[in-house]
Amino acid sequence: MASIIDIKEECALQVRNFDFTYKGAPAPSLKKVTMPIAKNAITALIGPSGCGKTTLLRAFNRMHDLYPGNKYEGEIEFEGRNILDPKEDLIHLRTKIGMIFQKPTAFPMSIYDNVAYGMRLQGIKNKTELDGRVEKALQDAAIWKEVSDRLKHDANGLSGGQQQRLCIARAIAVEPEVLLFDEPTSALDPISTQGIEKLVIELKERVSIIIVTHNMQQAARVSDYTGFMYLGDLVELGNTEELFVTPKEKLTQEYITGKFG
Amino acid sequence: MTAVQKRIVINKIALAFSTLSAVIALSFLFWILGVLVMKGLDALSWSIFIYEGSPPGYADSGLKHALVGQLILVGLATVIGVPLGIMAGTYLSEYGKNSKLAHTIRDISDIMMSAPSIVIGAFVYAVIVMPMGHFSAWAGAIALAIMMIPIILRTTDDMLQLVPGTLREAAFALGAPKYKVIIDVVYRGAKAGILTGVLLGIARVAGETAPLLFTSFNDNFFTTDLNQAMPSLTVTMFNYAISPYDDWQQLGWAAAFILSMFILGLNIIGRLILLAGKRK
Repeated sequence: MASIIDIKEECALQVRNFDFTYKGAPAPSLKKVTMPIAKNAITALIGPSGCGKTTLLRAFNRMHDLYPGNKYEGEIEFEGRNILDPKEDLIHLRTKIGMIFQKPTAFPMSIYDNVAYGMRLQGIKNKTELDGRVEKALQDAAIWKEVSDRLKHDANGLSGGQQQRLCIARAIAVEPEVLLFDEPTSALDPISTQGIEKLVIELKERVSIIIVTHNMQQAARVSDYTGFMYLGDLVELGNTEELFVTPKEKLTQEYITGKFG
Repeated sequence: MTAVQKRIVINKIALAFSTLSAVIALSFLFWILGVLVMKGLDALSWSIFIYEGSPPGYADSGLKHALVGQLILVGLATVIGVPLGIMAGTYLSEYGKNSKLAHTIRDISDIMMSAPSIVIGAFVYAVIVMPMGHFSAWAGAIALAIMMIPIILRTTDDMLQLVPGTLREAAFALGAPKYKVIIDVVYRGAKAGILTGVLLGIARVAGETAPLLFTSFNDNFFTTDLNQAMPSLTVTMFNYAISPYDDWQQLGWAAAFILSMFILGLNIIGRLILLAGKRK
């Protein structure tokens, strides 16, 4: 059976007996997943393609609801409530739990408007406040120096790595509690990847982070906890160092030593 | 002759024939444009824009009535057809997606696109002109709008679908409600394509005569009354061209020239916008 570590610190999210079934699928893609997500820490999800790590990630902000017919069962607790409740206010939830995608998703508008987008959605119109928070978000995302003189330029003129940091700035501008990263560096070059990893580590001071990655080295470099998933099961969740050095499950060991994948 | 030599000869013959065909096909286009420009420029003068129609033989006759009428008819059709077309296209791409209803609408719209324009004119005659009891600019504009809708609907649908789904998801992930995602992100991403569709849609209907024949009919005098028959370049051109009077025929050429330049201009602008959008 799965080996799940007990997390002593406070938890940002608690997944309990979570099943997820895609529309029309004969069997659930996630089976009885139970896992704590530590607060102000980085939890990495690793596993071979199709193991369900992205499916799990996209459940945390109910992204699956964009495509009707998908089914959630079980519980994901966040701020004292079950966010799988059909009555959950998804707009509110998504301002609390932000997401960074695999490919940069700069909107077809200026750099400034991209970062201000989430704040404007929340009704912030005051120019001084917007200016201040846009600058702070861009600084926190380590991209301010590169774009401060061209905030009104089209965001699609930036490089891939810059766009990804812009997306991070856009996500943190609304001050979420949790950030979900879905393979955020798989479309980037090594230098940009390094920049994003450094940024992710800095961000955990303020937010709890869950990162899906294909790259085991990346999980080892950035995360505090690592979950190994296989065929819709969470096989093992442990301290990153322990999981990579002394895995408790045979399957985990085989995966991290490259016997399959 | 070796096999290779034989193939080279066949290749050259095929190339020669297809080049010749392309030249012949295109030469008709340039022939039409050439005749139009020669005859049209000859007939063009400032008085055309100043005077309205008059009986044959009068010196002070022009096309002001038809020019203004044409602009009113096409403008009104645009005001009616563009919002409907864009909204229907938005439904298909963002809400209907692959549902049965959406596919049915797409199919019907495609059929409508190839419907004979005179049939659309007859339809509007039956449901608007007959009950009202007289021809009107409204009827003409509605007939043109009906022709415009399927074109704009289709391009809007296609262009919106070209906007990557991840961009929509990113906006949703920031807590945007669906209508905001569509307006702020999807429309913005497809701006150039939609605009091109609108311009091509206008260009497509601006040259139509048949739907206007028994809807807005025609008039030889200047009017801006939308409840009355309204002159248009196309119907005026038709009437003048088949008349036996020299001066009317001259005006017909002028109308043909102005109309062609207008439509050519719209097409070129539409394509330029699309090109600029792609290059970015």
